[in-house]
Amino acid sequence: MSRLRNIAVVAFSQAPIVARDEHRVASEILYPEVRSALDQCDVERAAIDYQVAGSSDYIDGRPFGFVTALDVMGSWPAKQDLHLEMDAAFAAYYAWVRMQAGDCDTALVCGYGKNSEGEPERVLNLELDPYYQAPLGLGPSATAALQASAYMARSGATDRDLAEIAARNRAAGAKNACAQLREAVPAATLAATPWVVEPLRRGYLPPYGDSAVCLVLAAEGKAERMCDRPAWVHGVDQRIEMQTLGARDVSRSAGARLAAERALAMAGLASANEVDVIELCATNPAEELILCEAIGVDAAAATPKKNPSGGPLCGHPLMMTGLIRLGEAFRQLSGRAGTHAVPNVRRVIAHAAQGHCLQQNLFFVLGSERRWT
Amino acid sequence: MKRPVAVVGVGQTHHASRRSDLSIPGLVREAVDRALADAGLDYGDIDAVVMGKAPDQLEGVMQPEQFLAGALGAHLKPLIRVHTAGSVGASTALAAVTHVASGLFERVLTVAWEKQSEGNAMWALSPNLPFTPPLVAGAGGFFAPYCRAYMTRTGCPPHIGPLVAANARANAARNEYAHLREPMTVEDVLQSPVLWDPIRYLETCPSSDGACALVVASEEQAKKGPRKPAWVKAGYSYAEAMWVPGRDQVSPQAGRLCARKVYEKAGIRNPWKEIQTVEMYVPFAWFEPMWLENLDFCDTGEGWKIVERGEQKMGAHLPVNPSGGVLCTNPIGASGMLRLGEAALQVMERAGEHQVEGVKNALGHAYGGGAQYFAMWLVSDAL
Repeated sequence: MSRLRNIAVVAFSQAPIVARDEHRVASEILYPEVRSALDQCDVERAAIDYQVAGSSDYIDGRPFGFVTALDVMGSWPAKQDLHLEMDAAFAAYYAWVRMQAGDCDTALVCGYGKNSEGEPERVLNLELDPYYQAPLGLGPSATAALQASAYMARSGATDRDLAEIAARNRAAGAKNACAQLREAVPAATLAATPWVVEPLRRGYLPPYGDSAVCLVLAAEGKAERMCDRPAWVHGVDQRIEMQTLGARDVSRSAGARLAAERALAMAGLASANEVDVIELCATNPAEELILCEAIGVDAAAATPKKNPSGGPLCGHPLMMTGLIRLGEAFRQLSGRAGTHAVPNVRRVIAHAAQGHCLQQNLFFVLGSERRWT
Repeated sequence: MKRPVAVVGVGQTHHASRRSDLSIPGLVREAVDRALADAGLDYGDIDAVVMGKAPDQLEGVMQPEQFLAGALGAHLKPLIRVHTAGSVGASTALAAVTHVASGLFERVLTVAWEKQSEGNAMWALSPNLPFTPPLVAGAGGFFAPYCRAYMTRTGCPPHIGPLVAANARANAARNEYAHLREPMTVEDVLQSPVLWDPIRYLETCPSSDGACALVVASEEQAKKGPRKPAWVKAGYSYAEAMWVPGRDQVSPQAGRLCARKVYEKAGIRNPWKEIQTVEMYVPFAWFEPMWLENLDFCDTGEGWKIVERGEQKMGAHLPVNPSGGVLCTNPIGASGMLRLGEAALQVMERAGEHQVEGVKNALGHAYGGGAQYFAMWLVSDAL
């Protein structure tokens, strides 16, 4: 394989996550973020070669929901375009692949979806196979609880362990201006919240929220002009597993293990412990433990630092929760993390996941320097 | 593109109103198994999977690629799911081409499908949204005014739609996979009721269950294959905004820009002379002359004259939709990939009874949304 192109995140804009954005539709929430991301790079829309978005018709509550976003993404004159029915982190993944294929140096990546207009717990049931699993009425909290139980039974992790992880995320989220839950809560308080589905308590599950995000990718040569401190992609990989919950060991994430291994190898790193920050798309504390185990880091250790943004437990806008992790990696590497900045960050892992029980996992490894010379 | 990419396997299901003999995974597998067998490959040879389909509401399964990952042989592989409205089958195949062109993947499986009998497409395509005018009874109600505008602008006479529809059936009669294969005359079409003026019942695509799958591969892998590959000389997908004053839905800018970019990249200067057949997305008969113009096969206002002279028939100058096209087979999500796959079969000289003689270059085309999304590729018999 010939050398890969150095490609960087050069801008990221996110609408602060709120429980309900009362007066705007999804595309209206997105528009200011597109403008802000372009302003950050000091370019107009005409300077961007490619656009790709991630969203879901079921979250939008209508077919072709993404068509309305074309208008606010600046699709006039007509633009080279693609839309993925996935978390927008996968749109960023595809944009990176597209840029590796050549004749495209810059890409706009958008994620949107107004979670408050539906009932995610019921909507996500429809992701399950329609013959055997969906009719059981399982929602994401129920499948996550099955997974958490399996993990706790195997590892011996306790309710208290889960509470402490949730508390750490909540304390971090308190410093993040874009987080939905911005209040530090002690572990003991979280451990006293009621079960949603045992062993997961209200305090261990994320709040669904409204947001919209826009991220800009640029290849070397242009990236340096668009951003003073680009976050260079060093490695990427993603893997899906089969869905059937009984057909895989949900106490582990084989897909996360493989994807992380490949992304780290592309980045030239021997271990995930060589990075400073890890942003995990963990939607409950048990998932965080399963992911840490899969990628080979100590969940309890101070370094690498996990989820300085507060993670999905402080805001979970479906279809963009993953892309926000990549945006957070950019914020940390480019000196734009503000009050939740971690000092001296040189490398970050950003993770995205979708589907029940971490069915599909995507890892980006990013650094402050170019990967390939 | 960073390196050449070829189509090495093509598979499609037999199409019908109801494939009640198959579950959703079974339908997808019928196409995928055929594509892999065609390529002389097995599931283990595939590096990544790219899946596309139209709105999830058509079957009532959200992001069904998650449920289908096992059936697609995608366990522990990279997978992406594309959705660009009606053009999705084509843009999905192009995303697979990009995977190989990037140098990161050698052999990629791409699949697109729709099992329309699981739901009600008319309902799914006609949501009642707050503050938005309703789409009025599905896609036909939406597109009929553009067909009427085309007729008004160009003087296209009322028998052109029936000529297109009758020709599509004549072609589909030679395609063993097509859904509607019963021949019909121009008179039959003229006698059928008007559904949405000017579109008659027999000028309208059916609702089909079906799937299409392709295997795309690098040059090195393609040359190892059992058969002559179809080389992808160029492929692009473009989209344009909905609410733009002066936007021309009869000949959309995204379609023109996309076609021109494809021709430029593929070194085609005169599409009429250098392309021997085209598989284009014609869900309502009137779109055939419209797209002939939009794709630069002729000047504006000349598309219907090509149809009137019969130059788009089998054996004539530019056979259009030798497979019978969308008018005879329409599993929405798969329809675009079928166009691209059929174009590939033509340059591979493996289209069977609907093979066009002497095809060097073939264009595959699809569109979707409010005539906003366009995706096409030009395939060639030589690298």
